[in-house]
Amino acid sequence: MRLATLAWRGLTARPLRTALTIIGVALGVALVSGTLLANQAASEAVERAAQEVLGKAELRVRAFDPAGFTARTVETMRRIPGVLEAAPVAERRINTSTVGGPDEKVFAPLLALGVDPETEQAVRTYDLEAGTFLSPGHPEDILLNAAWASARGLAVGDELVFTGSDPDVPHAKIVGLLGDLGVGALQQGNVLVIDRTFLDDAFKAHAPVTFVDLVVDKGRGGDVEAALNSGMAEPFIVERLADAQIQLSQAQQGFAGIAFLFGLVALVVGSFLVANTLAMTLSEQTREIGLLRAAGLTGRQVMGIFLRQGAVVAVIGSVVGLTVGIGFAALIIGFLRSTRAVLVTGLPINPLALLIAFVMGIAVTLAASVFPAAAAARVSPMDALRPSLQPGRTLWGRLRWIVILELVVVLLGVAAYPVDRGDFGVPGIALALAILLAGTALTALLLQPLSRVVGRPFEWFFGAEGLLGRANLGRDRARTGLTVSALIIALSAVVTLGVVANSARATAERWVGSVLPGGYAIRYTLPLNIDTQQPELENVTGVAAVTPIADFPAVVREGDKQREASVAGIDPAVFSATGSLILVHGERDEAFRALQDGGAILVSEPVASRDHLGVGSTVELAQPGADSQVFRVAGIIAYTLPGRSADGAFLISLTDARERFGADTAEVWAFVKQADVPDAAFRSALEQRARDDSAELLTAAGLSSDLERSLDRVIGLFDVLALLAVVIAGLGIVNTLGVSVLERAREIAILRSHGMTTGQVQAMVVAEASIMGAIGGIAAIVTGVLMSWAVVGRTASRDFGAGLAIPWPLLISVVLLGTGVAALAGLYPARLAARIPIVRTIAHHE
Amino acid sequence: MILEAHDLVKRYPLGDGSVDALRGVSLSVAKGEFIAIMGSSGSGKSTMLHLLGGLDRPSEGNVLIDGVNISQLNDEEATLTRREKTGFVFQFFNLISLLNVAENVALPFLIAGDSLSTHRERVDALLDLVGLSDKAKHRPDQLSAGEQQRVALARALANEPAILLADEPTGNLDFVTGTEILDLIWDSCDRLGQTIVLVTHDARAAAYADRVLIVRDGTIRDEIELGRRRDHEARPLITRLAALGL
Ligand SMILES: Nc1ncnc2c1ncn2[C@@H]1O[C@H](COP(=O)(O)OP(=O)(O)OP(=O)(O)O)[C@@H](O)[C@H]1O
Ligand SMILES: [Mg+2]
Repeated sequence: MRLATLAWRGLTARPLRTALTIIGVALGVALVSGTLLANQAASEAVERAAQEVLGKAELRVRAFDPAGFTARTVETMRRIPGVLEAAPVAERRINTSTVGGPDEKVFAPLLALGVDPETEQAVRTYDLEAGTFLSPGHPEDILLNAAWASARGLAVGDELVFTGSDPDVPHAKIVGLLGDLGVGALQQGNVLVIDRTFLDDAFKAHAPVTFVDLVVDKGRGGDVEAALNSGMAEPFIVERLADAQIQLSQAQQGFAGIAFLFGLVALVVGSFLVANTLAMTLSEQTREIGLLRAAGLTGRQVMGIFLRQGAVVAVIGSVVGLTVGIGFAALIIGFLRSTRAVLVTGLPINPLALLIAFVMGIAVTLAASVFPAAAAARVSPMDALRPSLQPGRTLWGRLRWIVILELVVVLLGVAAYPVDRGDFGVPGIALALAILLAGTALTALLLQPLSRVVGRPFEWFFGAEGLLGRANLGRDRARTGLTVSALIIALSAVVTLGVVANSARATAERWVGSVLPGGYAIRYTLPLNIDTQQPELENVTGVAAVTPIADFPAVVREGDKQREASVAGIDPAVFSATGSLILVHGERDEAFRALQDGGAILVSEPVASRDHLGVGSTVELAQPGADSQVFRVAGIIAYTLPGRSADGAFLISLTDARERFGADTAEVWAFVKQADVPDAAFRSALEQRARDDSAELLTAAGLSSDLERSLDRVIGLFDVLALLAVVIAGLGIVNTLGVSVLERAREIAILRSHGMTTGQVQAMVVAEASIMGAIGGIAAIVTGVLMSWAVVGRTASRDFGAGLAIPWPLLISVVLLGTGVAALAGLYPARLAARIPIVRTIAHHE
Repeated sequence: MILEAHDLVKRYPLGDGSVDALRGVSLSVAKGEFIAIMGSSGSGKSTMLHLLGGLDRPSEGNVLIDGVNISQLNDEEATLTRREKTGFVFQFFNLISLLNVAENVALPFLIAGDSLSTHRERVDALLDLVGLSDKAKHRPDQLSAGEQQRVALARALANEPAILLADEPTGNLDFVTGTEILDLIWDSCDRLGQTIVLVTHDARAAAYADRVLIVRDGTIRDEIELGRRRDHEARPLITRLAALGL
């Protein structure tokens, strides 16, 4: 037995408290490692899927013209020296259903990829979960995403009907099911692979070859690209692996960063628990430490004992946390896979991620134990002799530095962690953390007045017990402050998530509403000629106006540089009359008049602020190889129509689109209802029309609820993370109250001797806990709303442009949640208090 | 001289002003001497003991233990000196609850970085000395108050300190148990040559000493030479105290 054993005995002497603390750290580390592993799974999935999608092809040549490449052009590419293989892929959106009959099921549209089965196998391997690849001579064979199929009760061997296809062609037959990492990942799994000739035959129309994948001789990619540039008549764009990754990774944007942030929050809350535990141990043992000091133990040795305790908790907590974290990662990954919100691989056991989580767990825990340890080192030998112990108020005071230290650690983590944070920039997150710090610190400072106000209802409810419980909060303000702080941090995460999600929802509604004049649209599976289709659609009953959205790809030129962009031609008269589009800069009527007059363009706000465009600046648009067309920015709009890239579309007038770019077709058509026609009638007329044309009816309500659903899934995951942090904070309350009860055992014994029942004693402790919870909840609301403002409210982004939308019911439930969790946490200390023996306690303490 | 104090002043800040717990105390203790410090409650006995043992620093003046001026040392140095040269027994809460009896006795060695096993013999001898060999594995809360004090005494003597300082070591005990402790202390002085400074307001305890210092209002008012006696008869001391009007 050596002195160091004291550290270990200090932990084992209080097994419950130590276990709680270790669980706190372990949960934090579990969340960090779990989210890191899940992130890893997500980014590996994107990488792998992109690689599989491109296969051996180094270059993907994408046609600019929606009509795609001609067979001649494909042949030209194939003959370029250095090209080993050219695999043309046709794209067409199709609606499908099961074979007619009583059980007929109709499915949402899929992206059909028409391929040449033989060439295809030379270019890429298809990751099949079941069945076989397409075989030559069986053009009706199709491949589907396995998860998509199983969700709809389809299996290999089943048949599908393509809506609107020639009744004479055979039904399509499922021969293989694709895994999620590869071609099956495209369009979030809403994809179908089929022989190109079948696609053409089924619809008696040529499905446009939208891209050709080129397998190139080693090292000759540059030559081939040069040959393409000089030899191709039709406009095109070359994409590489990186572009494919970007397209696949859009759903993961922001996910990784936020998930990691929540892991950190949990870890910090856990480390508060460590600080609190050690500090409590310290205040309990002050007399003994003083004795040791009197006997010649140096301050440094005392510190060593405390640091050892911290280290033991850190190591055990981190190891347990890693183990739990791996299981947790498996859960997250399973969840993400089932929601299909984010692309993920199986569980990756990435040593680096585990190491990072482990080191962070150790570092944060040790950091949290440094202050109590330093405070312990300052215990003077005289503390052993003071008759009435005032467990070092100043010791507790120093603990507030932990809050600052921990937040700095988190901030560094956030700033250093290399992920795409989507809309959440570092300044926003930094400001949010500063608000969190201020919120927790202010609450800790104002605990007395706050508890007097918040405690009112509890005093009314619990009577004298409530009053005593409230008064006890003031006994050790730093300790109570730290405990409440942990709760505030966890609950603010819940509030922030709720407010951010609600704001995103509100924005989604506003966005969809503002870009869809009339609120209804039909999307065709192929672009249709404007001149012939428009009169047709105007015949639908109840239609006041029909307007095509003529979208086409183009490039934006800036000097020598050019960048891919989407452009949409719209009818300014219809958009203006329906009050569509929200102008944030520029005068509305003027902007629409300028559009009508030609040569004007509307730019969305995120793009404008990124590219430094204002009203009056010019944008050069072109099709590859053609001359630039100069447009003057007539207005900046809050939201724009979606386009091929994440930027969304630049809007010009329909006339300009047709005259300057020859955009004579449109896939999407918007409908405006006559004022006197009832909604339901109009809707069913459009539904009928869409069915007849085997097209898809889009409604503003439907689109925004789709957006909201996918948002809710990811937010749901984060909510779970935040709630775990609340649980950790609850453990903190158990811990704090447990010690507080034992510290005032004598007082409780005296209360009991004067006739307080055990029930009353329990009520007193539960009241104390509940008041802490209520204060935490209320402070979390204020802090969380301000934090949301910091990350969301200040940005003008596509996802949050509607500003803050406060979900009031959520805020109320957060107060209830905080109070409830705290009250539950108070039950165990309450039992401890009730069991304090009266006579022995009074007799023992002098 | 093993212990010397020169013009000790201890001033505590109190409100706006300050209170002088000690106002100029000088004394010297020879090696192997047993002295007792007496005085009424609040007279400054404990304060004096704390300064003499290097637990606290004087506001003015110096304390020399075995020639080392501990009043000029920083906390670390003072601690190391204390570790080597002093042993303390307080009125209560002397023991570390996480350690058992043997470990508590071995504490000075443990603090110095040694393990219990290397000092096993010494610890056993000390336990034997205080008559607790059969309770080596007991935890402090399983001992009676008198037994706890005996463990504390064994611990204070463990590394043969230059001086043993005890503040009311029997204040919490009944007469018989208190006498046992005092006998043990006296034994260590008489047989082992241990220097003892004992604070007490009990004349029967002070009667064990060779010399009694009377403290009043933070100064040493009187000194009573009793000389070494085997009987520890309190009467002579009480008579002398009475003569002094105490
Ligand atoms: N930390 C302190 N702050 C202020 N005054 C103090 C402090 N410690 C002691 N005193 C004062 O110094 C004086 C001497 O105290 P001390 O504890 O030395 O008395 P004592 O003789 O040991 O009394 P007792 O017999 O009751 O133990 C007292 O008046 C006491 O109030
Ligand atoms: Mg005293």
